[in-house]
Amino acid sequence: MDTKKRMGQLRTMFQRVIDPLGYKFSPDEELVDFLLEQEVTLEKEKGSPFCPCQGLTGEREHDMQLVCPCIPFHREHFDAMKRCWCGLYVHKDVDDPDELVQISKKEFEASRKRS
Amino acid sequence: MKKVVMYTLSTCPWCMRAKKFFREKDIPFEYIDYDKADEGTRRSIREDCLAHGEEMSFPFVKIGEDVVVGYNPQKYSSLLDQ
Amino acid sequence: MAPWFFAIAENELDEGEKKPLLIEGDKLLLLRQGGDFYAISNKCPHMDCPLSKGTLNGYVIQCPCHDWQFDIRSGEFLNAEEIKVPAYETKVADGKIYVNMER
Repeated sequence: MDTKKRMGQLRTMFQRVIDPLGYKFSPDEELVDFLLEQEVTLEKEKGSPFCPCQGLTGEREHDMQLVCPCIPFHREHFDAMKRCWCGLYVHKDVDDPDELVQISKKEFEASRKRS
Repeated sequence: MKKVVMYTLSTCPWCMRAKKFFREKDIPFEYIDYDKADEGTRRSIREDCLAHGEEMSFPFVKIGEDVVVGYNPQKYSSLLDQ
Repeated sequence: MAPWFFAIAENELDEGEKKPLLIEGDKLLLLRQGGDFYAISNKCPHMDCPLSKGTLNGYVIQCPCHDWQFDIRSGEFLNAEEIKVPAYETKVADGKIYVNMER
């Protein structure tokens, strides 16, 4: 299938999933386009539109939690950053995604213990 | 100068930005694209990430003895200056 | 009046089994568990995969594509209850199963 067409389909399907979770597509359209294109390639090569910024292991249980949108499986961590790891999605109230910083899983868990 | 090594993914824009950051500062670095690496290298990268208490979220940047997971130019700079 | 539609005869679906149906143009999945009948959309809310090809374990159906799991009673996605597969009311009358297509 044509890459652009599939990108549009993923966008429509994923919008339905992220909306009730309080997320939207990043206002950074260039980034969104790039990431969706990577996901279409990953889907062609590996069978699913995996996150372009997280590593697959080949173990189904692990990898299925990295299929986009992977927010439900990393909810608290992503909520703390107001974005998902690759930045395809941001919280609905975010206007400038460049102000958001990636917080690693370890940092997130340490901050949770402190609070 | 501290040694800079990073694990990256060929599909990840934040990994590209991390490489660009060091390139623009003329700081030499080594990198391995996890998704393009052979089985053995992939396994050792995974073990290294887990040993640092992290998942395989990229970029995974080692500056000397320190590790920064994610694209964070402020942190990169402060670790390089230390 | 609630729009009840005939689905199948009660004896066409065994305990712990599932059956995809087309009712009023909608792809549904009828399931029988714990002696009761449940009807949900047959399309996974993630990427439209057919849940009829998934596995039913107790009241949980797992999508065959990416393993998303839903409670067949409420339609709720186990990892985020805000996401639901549409669930429909069912009733049995005279050995026949009916589905209320109004949600």
